Amino acid sequence: MTKRHAKIYWTGFTVIIALLVIAPLVLPEFWRRFLTEILIWGLLAMSSDLLIGYTGMVSFGHSAFFGLGMYGAAAAILMVKPPNLWLAILYGLAASAAVAMFVAYFSTRLRDIYFAITTLIFSQIFYVIIFTWTEVTGGENGLSFARPALGIPGVYTVPFTSTTLHWFVLAIVAISYLVLRRVTQSPFGMVLQSIRENEARTRAIGYPVERYKMVAVMLSGLFAGLAGVLYAIQNRFAAPDFVYFLISGEVVIFNVMGGIGTLLGPIVGAGFFLGLREGFSRLFPWIATTFDMPYLAEFPYLIPVGIIFILMVIFLPQGLLGFMKQRLNQ
Amino acid sequence: MEIPWDIILIQTVNGLVTGMILALVASGLTLIFGIMDVVNFAHGELFMLGAYMGVVVLTTTGNFWLALVIAVLIVALLGAAMQITTLRPLLGRDPLNTILATFGLSLVLQNYALWQFGPVARKIQEPFTGQFTLFYLQYPWYRIVIAVLSAAIITGLYLFLKYGRYGIWIRATTQDRVMAQAMGIPVPWVHTAVFAIGAGMAAASGVLFGPLVGVNHAMGLDWVLKAFIVVVVGGMGNLGGSIAAAIFISLLEAYASIWVSPSQAIIVSSIVLILTLLFRPTGLFVPTPK
Amino acid sequence: MSAPQTSPQPLVSVEGIHTYYGKSHILHGVSLDIGPGEVVGLIGRNGVGKSTTLKSIMGLVSPSEGKITFQGQAITHQPPHKLARLGIGYVPEDRRIFKLLTVMENLRTGLDRAGVEDARKQALLDKVFAFFPVLAERRRQAGGTLSGGEQQMLAIARAMMLEPRIILLDEPTEGLMPRMVSQIKEIIGVLHRDGVAILLVEQNVPLTLEACQRIYFMEKGVVRHHAIASKLSVNDPVIHQYLGV
Repeated sequence: MTKRHAKIYWTGFTVIIALLVIAPLVLPEFWRRFLTEILIWGLLAMSSDLLIGYTGMVSFGHSAFFGLGMYGAAAAILMVKPPNLWLAILYGLAASAAVAMFVAYFSTRLRDIYFAITTLIFSQIFYVIIFTWTEVTGGENGLSFARPALGIPGVYTVPFTSTTLHWFVLAIVAISYLVLRRVTQSPFGMVLQSIRENEARTRAIGYPVERYKMVAVMLSGLFAGLAGVLYAIQNRFAAPDFVYFLISGEVVIFNVMGGIGTLLGPIVGAGFFLGLREGFSRLFPWIATTFDMPYLAEFPYLIPVGIIFILMVIFLPQGLLGFMKQRLNQ
Repeated sequence: MEIPWDIILIQTVNGLVTGMILALVASGLTLIFGIMDVVNFAHGELFMLGAYMGVVVLTTTGNFWLALVIAVLIVALLGAAMQITTLRPLLGRDPLNTILATFGLSLVLQNYALWQFGPVARKIQEPFTGQFTLFYLQYPWYRIVIAVLSAAIITGLYLFLKYGRYGIWIRATTQDRVMAQAMGIPVPWVHTAVFAIGAGMAAASGVLFGPLVGVNHAMGLDWVLKAFIVVVVGGMGNLGGSIAAAIFISLLEAYASIWVSPSQAIIVSSIVLILTLLFRPTGLFVPTPK
Repeated sequence: MSAPQTSPQPLVSVEGIHTYYGKSHILHGVSLDIGPGEVVGLIGRNGVGKSTTLKSIMGLVSPSEGKITFQGQAITHQPPHKLARLGIGYVPEDRRIFKLLTVMENLRTGLDRAGVEDARKQALLDKVFAFFPVLAERRRQAGGTLSGGEQQMLAIARAMMLEPRIILLDEPTEGLMPRMVSQIKEIIGVLHRDGVAILLVEQNVPLTLEACQRIYFMEKGVVRHHAIASKLSVNDPVIHQYLGV
């Protein structure tokens, strides 16, 4: 990056962060929550971009890391008295790291679609375990709990408001972004990208490709787990639905919509997807009542969103952010 | 501990029955993968739509066998349409794109079924209700018929691929797409036809299996997951391997469900998958590559 | 440059085609003609674009500029399977036998066309098996189990199943024993007598001079020179210029 580029980049970064800091002060409650949620899903999608965009491995199992992050946080909050925010994060990260290690060990022996399929099947195993182990996980109903306070228990704490929660999430997502960005630009990240470009050659040069991939999966799983912790704290529950593979599928959709290999793209993609979801789930009931077509009232938003996604896979494989970058470069 | 031989025998029969259905689903999946490098994520949805088409035709005509045939034809046509609109433009791109596109298709189809048919499971009445005695159990003949029919369809596919003129086209295209084209084989249409055949087979499994479980919009996922395990364990693109793996895994799950709940039985097949990946990543039922 | 006259109505005519592989520009405006029933050679060093020229004619790669006609009809962006049906046979450099198909099935990929009666199919097979008795012996054997020379014969026999007007032959003698080489030369002669045109890419200069009527010389993605084969000798300076090291 040239000096001029760097200047533009950091100016843009500061402006966006500033806007996101101010946003909860001007937005109504619903949209404040919505924005926080975009950031959390964006972090999850960003973690998966490390694999999809930078290493060339499409994970269909990120729900396992995300879900285990949620359950880890839940365990800390329910078992430790008084509930401690930092312990929740720690437990969540530990749980997702354990799962990530397991998945990384087995699935990194495989490439391309085999990797995608095995990550998917692994996440389903964790789903089945969590779903059926009712005594510990609460089974289908999941676990619910009170939100821990911000601060250090016993020293100084202040309960979260939706605004402070937003700032807290924003801080973690921003730091995660900077860390991941640093990782992708580090020698380690360069090796990952060369694995993506040509795995055989990278191995021939002498890099232990499998080990690099394993570290990439674990790192990615860790940030996905962090997103899970944040989501658990925001919503005060952990549920098996969030370990289900549909979540993994949505993460892949966020990546493709926003643009893989850009880190920021997946956040844009998450925002775009959630925006479409909100839009369509209001549009159809409105059409149903306005034009007297009651059968459209329950029309699932995932049908138009799925079609948009397919069209983007075919016609806009570089995603929204990639497309804008291309346009700006011209 | 005493070995419950009677239960084991019953579970063997059960395992063979589901194994044949699974083989029917997986052989379509592996055929499609072999010829166009497409991992069809929407394969389970084709199974589910087949079952729903079976429900619809059965309620209007009252004839199970007619429902089977019509459901297969409709879903095969739908499969052809899917291939032409979403997969043909992706030919030559990274195969991962096809997973993404078919995942999108599966979302659309599943949600369409949910909207059209509602969340309550539908029932398909089996065409006959005769039973025979298996130890203390009255075992339905229908299940045996399913297994035999699935085997017949798979045999038919095999004979078609082996001797049929279009079967040779399919095998030639699977081996060398470019040279097949240079020999005058209309490869784009061969791809479409293979996708339609795979879709039709998935639909046939859906209709046949419908009477044993309820028909609902989410039923495809279980099947596509198992079929994925089967094609990886059997060796991707290898028809014989998939069939063997389907029966092997279904038997294992049937035995496992003597001791654990059926929903946990998928963990058993996943262990098989893990072991396969560890020791024979090219598939259990493939000769060791030279 | 004393270019010989080409026939007034060429069977295949390539006019100034440019072909790319991704971003690399391989053909920079290649032009050549092949008359009906004519055997034409295409000579040049490795990597000058001979194979790409054949692939462009076959429709396997699409030229971004220029025009290709077959019997006066433009075929530039037609899919290969249509060109095969029109009467263009292709024998690629690496033979590309369907390795898991038997010899008979390999032949059937070209034979099983709409509108070919059984009697004619049998006649075609008889003809090919008369040329290549070894293929008749091995008709039930998988293509991948044949020797290199046998695979080359199968590749040519397979192209003949299409009853083509022209066969694009890419380095048919590469890696073959001398006995096989003379057999390939014989086949080219037989096809020529049958009125099949051939565009032959070869490194074997004596064979090319003997088998062809005209020869095109390629260099760096263009046709630089063009000569009557009978007016050239093996040690001709032109040949040294375009093939010599």
